[in-house]
Amino acid sequence: MKQYMALVYMNLAGIPGRLGLVATILIGVGCAVGVLVSMLAMGVGAQREAMGNVRPDRAVVLSVGAQGPQQSSIAKNVAAQIQDLPGIRRNADGKPIVVSEVLAFVQARDRLTGIKIGFALAGATPPLTDYMPELHLTSGRMFKPGLRELIASNVCAQKYADFVTGDKRTMRGGDWQVVGNFDIGKGGGTCVVFGDADVVLNSFSRNTYNVVYLMLESPDRFTALKAAIDANPSMHVAVKHEAEATEDSVKQLNGILNFISYFVGGIMGIAATLGAANSLYAVVDGRRRELATLRALGFRGGAVVASVLTESILLALPGALLGAGLAWILFNGLTASPFGFTFHLAVTAPIALTGIIWALVMGLIGGFLPAIRAARVPVTTALRAI
Amino acid sequence: MKFLPLIWSGIWRKPGRTILIVLQVSVAFALFGILQGMKTGVEEAIARTRADLLMVFPNVFGEPPLPVAYRDRIVAIPGVKAVTYADGILGTYQKPDQPVFVLGIEATNDLWLTLIPEIFKVEQRDLEALRKTRTGVLISEEIAKQYGWKIGDRIPLTSATLQRDGSGNWVFDVVGIFLAHEPGAGGYIVANYTYLDESRVANKGTVRNFYVVATDAGRAQATAEAIDRAFANSPSETNTNSLRENAQQGMQRIGDLNFLIRSIVSAVFAALLFSTGTLLMQSIRERTAELALLKTLGFTGRGIVLLIFTETALVCVTGALIGLALATTAFPYTAKWIPGLRMPSIVIATGVIASALVALISAALPARRAARLRVVDALAGR
Repeated sequence: MKQYMALVYMNLAGIPGRLGLVATILIGVGCAVGVLVSMLAMGVGAQREAMGNVRPDRAVVLSVGAQGPQQSSIAKNVAAQIQDLPGIRRNADGKPIVVSEVLAFVQARDRLTGIKIGFALAGATPPLTDYMPELHLTSGRMFKPGLRELIASNVCAQKYADFVTGDKRTMRGGDWQVVGNFDIGKGGGTCVVFGDADVVLNSFSRNTYNVVYLMLESPDRFTALKAAIDANPSMHVAVKHEAEATEDSVKQLNGILNFISYFVGGIMGIAATLGAANSLYAVVDGRRRELATLRALGFRGGAVVASVLTESILLALPGALLGAGLAWILFNGLTASPFGFTFHLAVTAPIALTGIIWALVMGLIGGFLPAIRAARVPVTTALRAI
Repeated sequence: MKFLPLIWSGIWRKPGRTILIVLQVSVAFALFGILQGMKTGVEEAIARTRADLLMVFPNVFGEPPLPVAYRDRIVAIPGVKAVTYADGILGTYQKPDQPVFVLGIEATNDLWLTLIPEIFKVEQRDLEALRKTRTGVLISEEIAKQYGWKIGDRIPLTSATLQRDGSGNWVFDVVGIFLAHEPGAGGYIVANYTYLDESRVANKGTVRNFYVVATDAGRAQATAEAIDRAFANSPSETNTNSLRENAQQGMQRIGDLNFLIRSIVSAVFAALLFSTGTLLMQSIRERTAELALLKTLGFTGRGIVLLIFTETALVCVTGALIGLALATTAFPYTAKWIPGLRMPSIVIATGVIASALVALISAALPARRAARLRVVDALAGR
């Protein structure tokens, strides 16, 4: 142990004389960790954005087996039945806060390039504002029931043509008036457009809703609601917590983002490990005499191996901090919108920690072979070279 | 040429170091190849897709299919050269987990021979065979292998699309083959639209989509808009896009990944440059005495610079070539979800040039140092 400490001290004291090689490890590891952390930050950012408005007292009803609203279909009479289920909160007028929603996929055009892109028009029933208190109009007013009126999130207004308050859109052979723009609480990275449910149902010749949203009296009333729904299999619907339903919807995006992150991060990690190994080889080579002398003085091979590994890890660590720090400075809060979903990159402590652990592994593997080489310096030949 | 052995021995002076540098360079370029290849490959694939082939679908996703009678109205629209259509039914073969999609085409139309050869290719002989047999189908090689089908076989399928007699059992006769180049294309077979439409009980006289060839690719956009305008306010509104426009839409969804790719590639090169640069520096420092000896033997400063540059360039370009070869091999697997994607040769060329540049930049400082070496000092070990 004493030998080990002495060796580590010696290694560290030698750093100023080998700045170039030390910086190689630092920068290599730093870049690898920086890339890994910033890419993982995309996954975390997407998750955060999606889950930003989730409340424990909201629940989502889909038809049995449906992965999301698109595959789901709920008949009008079933939607009416849901209103009478237990556990549902009532608004100031004493009506249950149940929003039935029908989705129609319509074409819009990119505001800048003019390229067509699909968006979902959601036709929602009146208690919408009770269900979504985070919906905050920034201009105009709510749509009126029975009229061809729309409100669009500000994301739509920024990205696509004809979504600003006062604009007119032609859909299904009729003019629709955009009467308001809004923001949705903390999240709202996607384009959301609301209209009146009955108007959308009629205009798009539909007779079923896609999804029913409801607000619970309190989060623990979920069990009562679920029991009531499960007791009535003829409704053919299933209820989920809002958190669960939202998580399902971003699962795929997150899977892709995380796969890319670890794939690219892994390859860069390999490159950085090779670089570290090479630099440490050079360091060990430069100290052959020193090491041989130490061995001749009776320092054990184990202590030498441990000291080189320690040096390698101690150099990888500031590299990791550098990378994670750079990722945070450059990318934290940056807006990204791959796969049509806009969110802010979030560099959090857990992913920074992942990056640091990653760096330690790189240091350990990169230092392994040079460490063994250091311990195997043949004492006689090395000393004879003096 | 006569210096080749000298360069060679310089490269292998420290075999471990050289191998590690080559490996590091190849890993960096493998990543560059895959990322840049993906970006450029997608752009090239989009540019290759036809701008003059328009697809006419119902305007709203999930809406009822379009009436086949639209065909005559589309043909009359200015800028339209040819029109055909297709519809399909989904069936299963023997077991519920063996889905087979039956695409019913207008087999009387020779347009199919040249319509979308990059996705669907059929020969005259097979198309005529389909024409002659009402219940005929063409199969792809994949599905033939999967279920052991061959020409002359009768294939029974079960479908949720019912026939007039109320049964969901459909029988097809294999009369020929077609080539499919799409991911997951193994799952469909091609039949006569007339057979499907005459036999089914619901949605009669409707199609999934029309294929329209525009006379002028440059005016295809206007033609597409004219088609949609013609059916605006009708019970079945249309949405017409060219194949290229569809590809662009898909690309737009990937969007910001370009920025990401650029950042990653810069980080990779920054790290690589620094690493090779320092290691070269170290290597030159270790070889001071040898270089001094060369100078004593009459090598000029420029000769030594050239020697070092060649040595570095050999190592870097070799590494890059290995890396790019790796990327090309791995490319089809990483980019499976984008049809028609292949490694663009421009990326390979850029990679090789970039590796030469890496060599040049990282060797610049050490080479200068070596060229300025003063023989007396170096040999004296000062």
